Amino acid sequence: MREKIKSLLKQAELYRSQGLYNEAKESYERVKRIIQKSKQLPNREKLLANISKKIEKVQNTLVRLENAKETPQMSPEVNRLIKNLFSKTGSGDKDAAALEGAVALAKFGQFNDAIAEFRRLLGVESQRVQAAKNILRCLLAYKSSDDAFDQLSEWRSEELFTDEEMAKIKSFFDGLVENKWDEKGAARSEALTGSSEMDEDEFLDISAVAITLPNGDQIELDVSFQSGNVVSLIIDKKDEDLIKDLHEGSKLEDVHFYSPIAIFRGSGVITSKTRIASGPKEGDYSMDIKIDSL
Amino acid sequence: MAVFNINKREIECKIVYYGPGRGGKTTNLEYIFKAYKKQVKGEMVSIDTEGDRTLFFDFLPMDLGKIKGCDVRVQLFTVPGQVQYSSTRKLVLKGVDGVVFVADSMEVRREKNMLSLKDLQQNLKEYNLSIFKIPLVLQYNKRDLADEGIPIMPVEQMERDLNRQLKVPSFEASAINGKGVGQTLQACLRLTLQYLQKQLKWAN
Ligand SMILES: Nc1nc2c(ncn2[C@@H]2O[C@H](COP(=O)(O)OP(=O)(O)OP(=O)(O)O)[C@@H](O)[C@H]2O)c(=O)[nH]1
Ligand SMILES: [Mg+2]
Repeated sequence: MREKIKSLLKQAELYRSQGLYNEAKESYERVKRIIQKSKQLPNREKLLANISKKIEKVQNTLVRLENAKETPQMSPEVNRLIKNLFSKTGSGDKDAAALEGAVALAKFGQFNDAIAEFRRLLGVESQRVQAAKNILRCLLAYKSSDDAFDQLSEWRSEELFTDEEMAKIKSFFDGLVENKWDEKGAARSEALTGSSEMDEDEFLDISAVAITLPNGDQIELDVSFQSGNVVSLIIDKKDEDLIKDLHEGSKLEDVHFYSPIAIFRGSGVITSKTRIASGPKEGDYSMDIKIDSL
Repeated sequence: MAVFNINKREIECKIVYYGPGRGGKTTNLEYIFKAYKKQVKGEMVSIDTEGDRTLFFDFLPMDLGKIKGCDVRVQLFTVPGQVQYSSTRKLVLKGVDGVVFVADSMEVRREKNMLSLKDLQQNLKEYNLSIFKIPLVLQYNKRDLADEGIPIMPVEQMERDLNRQLKVPSFEASAINGKGVGQTLQACLRLTLQYLQKQLKWAN
């Protein structure tokens, strides 16, 4: 029995040293029960007192850990790292990446830094609606729905957004208030769009490309069809202006090809650009890009 | 998510160490940081809380040099294993290319291993990834504790518990003294790079 107790105590100490406090407590309690049952054990009272003290100590640690602040404020360096590591790697769109980085900060509970970044992005046309939505979401998560509501009213009176934008933000906010922060939904919308059921022998499946225009802007376009290393894109007639400087033979230096498992960065050349003459897509443009060295 | 720069012939991928709390994920990375100085590029960053429990993640960037004519960079991450950090785990897993599952050999952690593997499967699924397809290796850690008289599970039992359906490579390890750490990482890298190679048709 002495051996049994000794071995259990040793286990308890080890569990404790590895931070497994529940397991440690369990082992101590087993020792305690054994000692309680063995009435003829020498020094029994002292041993019992001793073991109770140990149990109490582990218990205190458990309580302290439970009450520890879940998400402490991190240093600026750490937050910068989080932003870098969790924004879409390889995406050339600086502002979209910044938005994603700020969302990561928010998810790690770094609300102050996240909000500061979102506020900056309110000034960026392409990101402002998303940024506004995320500000509301942060306020709801770490302040109160009143704060979020006040923010919304403030924007309304400042006329910062167009009516259409405001309607989007408002309906997002209503949804949020109903569900609070729907963790699942957030993750789902972020989930990779690719399917893991991909046939291994199939040519790599590219779902979208991002190209840098001669004026330096970057646009992202969905791929409508792919054959070998040529991808076809359909560009809506309302976006005609975006591609006005692109012609057959134009070389594209920095192209991002998005596939379900990786982002490729490479170059390509436009092999055709035509205006669709009939059918449901009449007036839209069809453009083929041949990918170099893929 | 791997990023493949075709012109520079450079590939960057992400390996995540997953597993139950206190199983030894951080210890694996600490050993790699010390032992693979040549391949490690930059500092190891650990965001942890009291008692060294990982709070957000550990991060260690590596550069493996040229493999089949392609420069290979790897980012190693660990997740926080404790149950309550579920949303952080999911976040860290985002864009993963390969997984090392660090299981704790101690008998008292048997159930926690299985729950954590289940949790991995679910989180992968949320990103449309399948645990049966993603490059994955298992590590049975803390084997050294047998010598200390601490009850640990036989490897056969851990295989039955965790690897019966997966049938992926598994390794015994004692991360605290580095045993099996390199072997585990290399196996995971090999699988991951093979997978990416096949998918990306890079080595031609
Ligand atoms: N004896 C022994 N102890 C180990 C071994 N590996 C890790 N430990 C110890 O186990 C405890 C937990 O190790 P960590 O590396 O922090 O575990 P983790 O998986 O990162 O834990 P979380 O961050 O909470 O998920 C520490 O006290 C380590 O020293 C091992 O191989 N043998
Ligand atoms: Mg850790």
